[in-house]
Amino acid sequence: MRAAKEGRAVPNMYCDVTTGVRGGWRRATHHKSHASHDPTHPTHPTHPTHPTHPSMSSTMPSISPSAPAKTRPEVIQSLIDGVDRYNPDNVSILEEYLTAQCQNEDYDLMANLAILKLYQFNPHLTTDQVIFNILVKSLTAIPEPDFNLCLYLLTEQMVADEPIQKLTLLQQLLEEARYKNFWETYDSDELYKELTSEVRGFTSAIRKVIANVVNMTYQTISSDLLRSYLHLEGDAYKSLLASYGWSDADGVVTIPINKHNEAKTVVIRENIKFEQLTKVIGYSNEL
Amino acid sequence: MYQDTFEEEDLAAEIELVTSDSYHAEDPLDEEYVDDASIQQQVLLQQQQYATAGAQIPDGVKNFIGHFHRHILDNNVYELHSVYENSFNKLTEKYFPKSTWPEPEYIAPLPLTPFYPTTSDQVFLTLYRELYYRHIYSRLTPTIEHRFHSYENYCDLFNYILNSEGPVTLELPNQWLWDIIDEFIYQFQSFCNYRNRLKNKSDEEIALLRDNPQIWSCYSVLNVLYSLIQKSRITEQLLVSKHGGDMQEAAGEYGSRPLYKMLGYFSIVGLLRVHCLLGDYTLALKMMDNIELNKKALFARVTACHVTTFYYVGFAYMMMRRYADAIKAFSHILVFIQRTKQYHTRSYQYDQIAKKGDQMYALLAVCIALCPTRLDETIHTHLREKYGEQLSKMQKGEEGIPTFEDLFLYACPKFILPNGPNFEDPNAANLNSEPHIHHSKIFLNDVRHQITIPTLRSFLKLYTTMGIDKLAAFLELEPEELRTQLLVLKQKSRQTRWSSGTLLEGEYVPTSDLDFCLKQDMIHIAESKVGRRYADWFLRNIGKFQDIVAGLEQRN
Repeated sequence: MRAAKEGRAVPNMYCDVTTGVRGGWRRATHHKSHASHDPTHPTHPTHPTHPTHPSMSSTMPSISPSAPAKTRPEVIQSLIDGVDRYNPDNVSILEEYLTAQCQNEDYDLMANLAILKLYQFNPHLTTDQVIFNILVKSLTAIPEPDFNLCLYLLTEQMVADEPIQKLTLLQQLLEEARYKNFWETYDSDELYKELTSEVRGFTSAIRKVIANVVNMTYQTISSDLLRSYLHLEGDAYKSLLASYGWSDADGVVTIPINKHNEAKTVVIRENIKFEQLTKVIGYSNEL
Repeated sequence: MYQDTFEEEDLAAEIELVTSDSYHAEDPLDEEYVDDASIQQQVLLQQQQYATAGAQIPDGVKNFIGHFHRHILDNNVYELHSVYENSFNKLTEKYFPKSTWPEPEYIAPLPLTPFYPTTSDQVFLTLYRELYYRHIYSRLTPTIEHRFHSYENYCDLFNYILNSEGPVTLELPNQWLWDIIDEFIYQFQSFCNYRNRLKNKSDEEIALLRDNPQIWSCYSVLNVLYSLIQKSRITEQLLVSKHGGDMQEAAGEYGSRPLYKMLGYFSIVGLLRVHCLLGDYTLALKMMDNIELNKKALFARVTACHVTTFYYVGFAYMMMRRYADAIKAFSHILVFIQRTKQYHTRSYQYDQIAKKGDQMYALLAVCIALCPTRLDETIHTHLREKYGEQLSKMQKGEEGIPTFEDLFLYACPKFILPNGPNFEDPNAANLNSEPHIHHSKIFLNDVRHQITIPTLRSFLKLYTTMGIDKLAAFLELEPEELRTQLLVLKQKSRQTRWSSGTLLEGEYVPTSDLDFCLKQDMIHIAESKVGRRYADWFLRNIGKFQDIVAGLEQRN
C-alpha cells in the first residue's frame, strides 16, 4: 500500500533540481557507502545533486537531554540526522524503534518527532495508535514540554479527536500538579488504561514524574499527602520510598536536601570581564 | 525580506479574480533553441510584437536593464549591489509603484548587448523574473499564474545553479542571495496559505491547484534547500572553521565559490524558518547545530538574515518553554537593531526590520510575563513604552489570557499546513483550519497552566517564612489548591537553559530570582539578590576623568 502511494509521498518533481535530490534520497537508503562526495569527481549531470549527507553523527553531541545518545541505536541516529528522515520508506524503522521504547521503558523524543514529521508530510501513513503511544510516552517526560511539541506537529482535527483530548486532560492535570485528581481521572475510565496499555510501566513512570516534583519542592512532607500524590499504599509505597532514599517516620517523610529543595538566598555578584577593562589598561599606557 | 502583509493580499486575491493572459505556453524564449525554419519565423514575428511593446518602456528603465545585464555578464558584484539595492527600488517608486515591471518577454528583445542571444541571457532573464515576481508579491496581488510561474522561475534558477556542468561562474551580492532564499520561502508560505482558502476560488483555480500538487510542495522546497546545503558543503566548511582543518578541501570546487557558500549558509537559516512554520521547533533549532550565535557568524553580514535568524531561534525557544533562552535571543537582536537604527533608516528594508522588531518586542513581553527576568536597560524602557499596558494585564491571572493571545497572534510567524485541502470533498474546506489558531490554542493552554503564578510570586516576595494555611487565607484559596500552585511555581521556575554546545543543548537550572521549599506546612522563601554593580560606574568615570586630563594637557 505504501509503495502504491509513494508517487504522492515523493511526488514527481516539477523540475530537475528536485528530481536530482529525489533520486538522491532513494539512493541514500540503498547505497549508503557511495554517499560520500569526492570533490575531485564532479557529479555526473544525470545525477546532479548526488547525495552527500555528511556523516554528522560522529561529530554531533546528543541533542535531547532526555535521550542520551548512548541508548540510541546508530541506525536511528544517522536516520534522524540526515535527509533520510524525510523518506517515507523509513517510517517503519522508526515505528519499530518506538515499539521497542514502549516495551523497554526507554524514551527518545527526537526519534518520535521524526515519525510525526513523516505523518505530517504523508498523512496516508498515519497510524493512530502510534500517535497515542508517542503522546503517552511524552507524558512521562513532564516537566519537559514534549507533549506540546508533539501536538504542534499534529493537525487541529487530529487534536480534537476524543483519545487525544483525553490524553490532553491527563497532561493538564500533571502540568497543574493536581496529582490526586490525575489518579481519580485515570481510574475513572477504562479508555485511559486502553490508551496507555502499550506503554509498559506507564503508572510507575508517572509516579517518577510526581516524585521528581516532590523531591524538588519538599524537605519534609506528611506521608498521607505523599501517598495520595503517588497513589500507593503498603509495601509498594515503602519500597518506592526506599528506592529514592526517603525515610518515613511518625507520618512524616524526610527528603534529603538537593540543589532544588534547599532554597538558599544567593547574592549574585557581578563578573567583570577582561574586555571591559581594555580601555582603562590602554590609558595606563599613555601615562 | 519580510512581507507580512500577504494575508490582506490573499484576501484581496480572492475577491478580485485577475485572469492573466500575459503568459504564453509556447514562449519561444523559454525553449532551448529552435531550428525549424517555420517556427523560427513565428519566433521572429513574436519578437517583433514584443519589440513594439518594448518600445513603450521608459528610457530610464531601458538604460537600467542594459546596465543590469552588463553587470551580470561581467560578474561585477560591486555594481550589481548598487543596481539591486538602489536603482531597482528607485525606479520601482518612480515608474511601477502600482503596476508590474515590463514583462520579461518584452525586455528580452531589447538590444541590450551585442552578444544576444547567449546562454547567459537566459540567466539574466531568470534573475530579472525573480525581481519581477518579487515586485508583484510585494506591491500587487499575485494571481495563481504568477504563483505558478514564479515557482517555475525559481526551479530554473536553482536548476542552473545546481545542475549545470560544474560550478557556475555567476556572482551576486550577499544581500540578493539572502533575498532569493528568503523570498523563495516567503512565496512557499504564501502559496500554502492561499491554497488552503478554498472559499471564493473559481472552479478553474481549484482545478489548477488540484492538478498541480507538486508546485510549491513541501518536499520540493526542502529538496532545494537541502541540495544547496549539500552542494556547497557548508556543513563541512562550518565544522572546519570551528575545529580547524583544510578549508579548501572541505569546501570543494562548489563550496569555495561565494555564490554556493552563501546560498548554502542561507539555506540553513531558511530551514530554521521552514521548520518553525511547520511547527517543528526541535528540528528547527537542530538545523543550527553547526552555527554559533556570535557576532562573527556569517549571518551577521546581511542584516535581514541576522534579524530573521534571531527571530526564529527566539520563537522556537519560546515554544519549547525555554523562555530564558528566548529572552536572550530577542534582547540580543533588539539591542542590535536599536544601535544600528541610523544605518537602517536608509535601507529599503527598514520597514520590514522595524516590523519584525516590533513583533519581537511583543514576544519578549510574553516571555517576560512567563519568566520575569532583568533586561538590558534600553530594551526594558522600550518594552515598557510599547507594551507596558499589556505587561501588567498579563500578570492578572485568567483575565490576562486574551492579551497573551493578541500578542501571540500578532507576533507569531505565518504557520503553514504542509498539505493542500482535500479538493474532492466539498466539506473539507470548512474542516480546514487556520494553523496559527491551532498553535496559539496549544500555547495558550500552556500559559493557562501557570496563570496564577504572578500573584503567588508577588505574595511570596513579601515573606521569608509563611504557613500554608495563612497564605491560603490571604489568597482566598483552599490550602490544597495553594499546594498545587506551589508545585507548579517550582516547576515553572526551572528551565533548560543553554550554556554551551549546540542550540538544543542546555542545563536544567533555576531561572527565577525567587525560590522556596516546603517543610510540611511551612513555606521557606529565599530571594536571590543582585549585588550592586560597581564596574560600570567606575569604568565610565575613569573614562570621563581621562577625557578631562587629556583636555587639560592639551591646554598646557
